[in-house]
Amino acid sequence: MNDTSRVRGRLLKRILLITALLSMVLGAAVLLGLATGPSGIDLTPVAQLVTGDSQADSLQIAIIERIRLPRVLMALFCGAVLSLGGLVFQALLGNPLAEPYILGISGGAATGAIMGILAGFARVPGVSLTAFAGSMVTLFLVLVLSRGESRVGRDAMLLSGVMVNAFCSAVIMFLISISEENKLHDIMFWLMGDLSSADMPQVGMVALLVLPCFVVIFLLSHKMNLMLMGREMARAMGVSIRRTTLILLIATSFMVSAMVCQSGLMGFVGLVVPHILRQVFGSDHRVLVPATIVGGGAFMVICDLLARWIPREGEIPVGVITAMIGAPLFIMLLKRRAR
Amino acid sequence: MKNRALRTLFLLALGVAWCGLFAARVQAKSVTDTTGCIVDLPDAPKRVVSLAPSITEIVFSLGKGDLLAGVTRYSDYPAAAQKLPRVGSYIRPELETIVSLKPDLCLAVKDGNPDKVIQRIKAFGIPVYTVNPDGIDTIIRSINEIGNLLNATSEARAITDAMGAQLEAIDRTIAKASHKPRLFFQIGISPIVSVGKNTFLNEMIRRAGGENVVTSKTPYPRFSKEQVLALAPEMIIITSMARNDDFDTMKQEWASWPSLPAVQTNNIHVVNSDILDRPTPRVVEGLAMLAALIHPTLFEEAAR
Repeated sequence: MNDTSRVRGRLLKRILLITALLSMVLGAAVLLGLATGPSGIDLTPVAQLVTGDSQADSLQIAIIERIRLPRVLMALFCGAVLSLGGLVFQALLGNPLAEPYILGISGGAATGAIMGILAGFARVPGVSLTAFAGSMVTLFLVLVLSRGESRVGRDAMLLSGVMVNAFCSAVIMFLISISEENKLHDIMFWLMGDLSSADMPQVGMVALLVLPCFVVIFLLSHKMNLMLMGREMARAMGVSIRRTTLILLIATSFMVSAMVCQSGLMGFVGLVVPHILRQVFGSDHRVLVPATIVGGGAFMVICDLLARWIPREGEIPVGVITAMIGAPLFIMLLKRRAR
Repeated sequence: MKNRALRTLFLLALGVAWCGLFAARVQAKSVTDTTGCIVDLPDAPKRVVSLAPSITEIVFSLGKGDLLAGVTRYSDYPAAAQKLPRVGSYIRPELETIVSLKPDLCLAVKDGNPDKVIQRIKAFGIPVYTVNPDGIDTIIRSINEIGNLLNATSEARAITDAMGAQLEAIDRTIAKASHKPRLFFQIGISPIVSVGKNTFLNEMIRRAGGENVVTSKTPYPRFSKEQVLALAPEMIIITSMARNDDFDTMKQEWASWPSLPAVQTNNIHVVNSDILDRPTPRVVEGLAMLAALIHPTLFEEAAR
């Protein structure tokens, strides 16, 4: 009895330590993100805002509070959601290549969202709802298609996901080909991932939808560990595999579609962040879930500040940056593991 | 004694400040823009941000280019506009850049500028006046509106009067036309894109004495070659954003279809899109050019 409580205490300490460490990285990223504007990185106004300096330029402060802060927070949530989504799918499928995109969840949300944009709905709640409906339909399709194996089989699910995804991108292409010029611009930027229009009400709504999902997934993190040890083992430990899988899938799809309809499509985040963290901190999901949320947030905030900082005029869509950083990093990780 | 003098001075200063404030409030005017929004304007705007190339051009034509603090990308006319700070494109204006320029007036267009960005600019206390130049008459109205805002009413009046006179001359010449050629107006090459009924360019074609073969309600419908052949236009006009060899290639491609009436009469033309599709004072020049292209003999007679 004494022994288990000591183990639990050590685990708690480890979770707190790692989360605190990554939170410091996230804090630094957020400060840098707030300091980045079209004319470069300037930390003075941010420092003035933090210390409450009364001599600060009120316009600069307003810009930081009302334009940059919502954007940085949106990037934070976006990175956290997509990374956590990747982590959950990798655990559920036992496949390191899994992420929301592979299962067609993002594709489904994207298809739904584009239909919403074309129908002329407002981003909130119209497009959000069609995006969620889209992701739910694809999730349902993937689950039904992979049921031929009499259980939610790993490979069957992955393959159905790939196929559903291919179908979704065909639908997206079709929708793009028939859409009008003025809406096309909107859709293209959204497909590349775009955080530039974030404002506080939007961030608040995303937080409201996404934070409960974080909690649910954290509560199930120990069950994820057990499931990774094998189905028989998990069953012997009293885990209802079907129910746990279903709850995780729904929570993840829900938060991913809520995010995707605000930020557009961003690839590789869900692949890269969990991988790096798993390599550094091991494979205990009770540690990995909070670490992925904080680390993923930091990763995306940095990507977004690069997207604003690199071009001399205008900005690059964030999705381009995540893919440019993510893909080579991913290949490097694969190579090292193969060696 | 000294104290009293100080107090009087203080009260006096306060009074002056009050008067100044009051005067400033009286000076600011409140107007309603084309979208029905009430805008509180400074009496004499000093830092204006233009959110479309056409607005930039209008402001310069009024001789008020020196008031511009920022313009959108592709504001390339007149040449002086190219040196001004950029605030993003007119479809994607950059909020932070606009706000940091501290403008006392933003000029926006109804179709094109995203409403969300406009609302957020207003939330920073920056007045935004929106014009809606979607036809020849509304272009004239927009020029007058902007003239009023920038204290250039008489300049605007002079420009729009000249435009009106030119328009009248064109109308008079076109009225003599016995036949209105059926025309295919091509604004995109790959894919082939034309203009539908409820567009500005459709109005230009009509006013220049042509008949648009496209009657679709879609503003900018796409076509296959086969569909264009079936429409059998007597005339094809090609305009494109990118100016390169594509036009001539396209012209030759059409030329390989001798069944087209336009090919039989060698009536395929390439035009500069800038003066046709930008809602600016230059639009009358564009109309005159288009009319002369459609009815060359009438305008030769008129010129004589």
